[in-house]
Amino acid sequence: MARILINLPKAKRGEIVEIRTLIQHPMETGYRPKGDGTSFPRDIIRNFVCELDQIEIFRADLFPAIAANPFIAFTVKAEEGGTMTFSWIDDLGMSQTETVDFIVE
Amino acid sequence: MTRASFSRRAVLRTGVVLSAAAALARPAIAQSAGHVVVIGGGFAGATCARELNRGGLNVTLVEPAATYTACPFSNGVLAGLRPLSRQQFTYDALKKEGLAVVAQRATRIDGQERRVSLSDGTTLGYDRLVLAPGIDLRYDALPGYTEDVAQIMPHAWKAGEQTSLLRGQLEAMPDGGTVIISVPANPYRCPPGPYERASLVAYYLKIQKPRAKLIVLDAKDSFSKQGLFQGAWKALYPNLEWVSMSSGGKVIEVDVRQRMLVTEFGRHKADVANVIPPQHAGEVAVLAGTADRTGWCPIDPVTFESRQQPGIHIIGDACIAGSMPKSAFSANAQAKVCAAAIINLLRGQAPQTPKLINTCYSLVAPDYGITVAGVYQPVNGVLTDVEGAGGVSPADGSASLRSLEASYADAWFRTITDEVFG
Amino acid sequence: MTGRSFQPKLSRRAVLTGCLALIAARPARATTEAMRDAIRHFTGSAEIKAGRVKMDIPPLVENGNSVPLAITVESPMEKDDFVQAIAVFNEKNPQPNIGIFHLSSRSGRAFVSTRIRLGDSQNITAIAQMSDGSFWSGSVELIVTLPACAEN
Repeated sequence: MARILINLPKAKRGEIVEIRTLIQHPMETGYRPKGDGTSFPRDIIRNFVCELDQIEIFRADLFPAIAANPFIAFTVKAEEGGTMTFSWIDDLGMSQTETVDFIVE
Repeated sequence: MTRASFSRRAVLRTGVVLSAAAALARPAIAQSAGHVVVIGGGFAGATCARELNRGGLNVTLVEPAATYTACPFSNGVLAGLRPLSRQQFTYDALKKEGLAVVAQRATRIDGQERRVSLSDGTTLGYDRLVLAPGIDLRYDALPGYTEDVAQIMPHAWKAGEQTSLLRGQLEAMPDGGTVIISVPANPYRCPPGPYERASLVAYYLKIQKPRAKLIVLDAKDSFSKQGLFQGAWKALYPNLEWVSMSSGGKVIEVDVRQRMLVTEFGRHKADVANVIPPQHAGEVAVLAGTADRTGWCPIDPVTFESRQQPGIHIIGDACIAGSMPKSAFSANAQAKVCAAAIINLLRGQAPQTPKLINTCYSLVAPDYGITVAGVYQPVNGVLTDVEGAGGVSPADGSASLRSLEASYADAWFRTITDEVFG
Repeated sequence: MTGRSFQPKLSRRAVLTGCLALIAARPARATTEAMRDAIRHFTGSAEIKAGRVKMDIPPLVENGNSVPLAITVESPMEKDDFVQAIAVFNEKNPQPNIGIFHLSSRSGRAFVSTRIRLGDSQNITAIAQMSDGSFWSGSVELIVTLPACAEN
């Protein structure tokens, strides 16, 4: 399992907070030469989705131009707390999911 | 380790041929060929002023400080391996050669009229102006890090008072404390410098404060001589932890009241915090209109003449030198190329296309040196790595080789400072 | 603009094999036209207005493997007026797309930050799709130099 970093701060109701995420992944572009005329096969994270109590609040489609260990930060306006789910889906459709409680005071 | 396969011989050779650039044309020319003002008396400025003076030009060096404190080896001062005085040099030898050294600050540069105004109200006219202002720290780039905060969390990235300040903090810290070094993204002065610093601070702690911890928070995932440094750290310094950007190491805010460094993913409390902030070309370069929106100075790599202000040359850390790193060695090599070009230009001759050499020495311990060397030449207007030249110390080098390289590093410092200031 | 004085095509490619292997060896680079086509694919036939999109990216980077990029769009981000998506494009990588970020009125701010790969000095363009169907764009030019000493 790839290592995941998430920074989800506690929020006051109505506050806009920045959420930072990172997953350790090579994001192999498919263009890197092996030296024998072929390239290392592409292997990237293709999608990232963040949901709060199963409602999507942010989604990203990623391409090989996203750096290795994709870092994605975005914001959310704190209305209700709940369970925040972060999912990364790779080229093969495999996904890795992390869950964090979103605390709104 | 993309260049590990290059031969050791190439590296050692560059280590010995300290100044191949000096072999470039240094024609003895007639007096009164022109007046050149050089602003900044570091490795770049002092070298260039001397070369121009020896080339028969009328040269004025403008440098407000009476003493120059050299950055290379100043990490050794932090570790208590040498006194700061060994880093300090005066301009007496330059004056003895007939060079005019003016202890003033440049306050205005008029590229149209080719005139420099000084802080005492006088002005200097010039035919060619050389700027060697080094770096200034960007106090707008890291929230919470200001000039005042630098008195509490020193950068020590300009040697001198800041070096002593950080040294004092390390000495005063109790055993068991935590030292944090925050490293910026590229470009900055001396790419391997933060890692040499981490090594030597770890060396000091290992001997004097064995229960102390050292954390390096980095805004990068890879760095100069990384394999060599990390190999040595593993063997020598178990209490040194390097946190890469992708492991959450990028510092985005400084909380001085709590002595806290805030990263993208967490907070780190430091007993001693050494914050190396982002940098830009020294103020004089900005004053002269030679720095562009990047904060650095684009130059023609044959003459080091500004792409923005004709008649003004920029050398050393302040210029955008393509693949060439910001180092004292680079500054010295660039200064010689620039001086030779100016001499040719003032004689109405075409400047020669240069090849420049750089070697970055780093100490991992007092008797453990590693190097990376490169050769550079202009390709399509950009200084570019000559493929197959240069290289890095071998990953599996013996203790005696490491010790030998440490002695080369020491010899290099003595040679270059003697050449520039002695 | 100093970008013109840097014409590092040849040198860049030579060094790329060493330093930026991850994005080197491009049979056919994305071109300005490829970028234009990719943008069209995103916007359809809608008009693209310049403005409202602000890109924060260092103007000079020494390592194109990981370049921080933050985008903010002027928008109230309320139920009936928000940014739906921000798409980012480049001129010179093998593919013109970088990423498409889908926001909602819950986002609070129209903001996204990531790190991207760039094999060369070039223009980066971001297009914001508003909830009313309009498109706004911003562009930024940056310089990628390749240090020898910075990575080994």
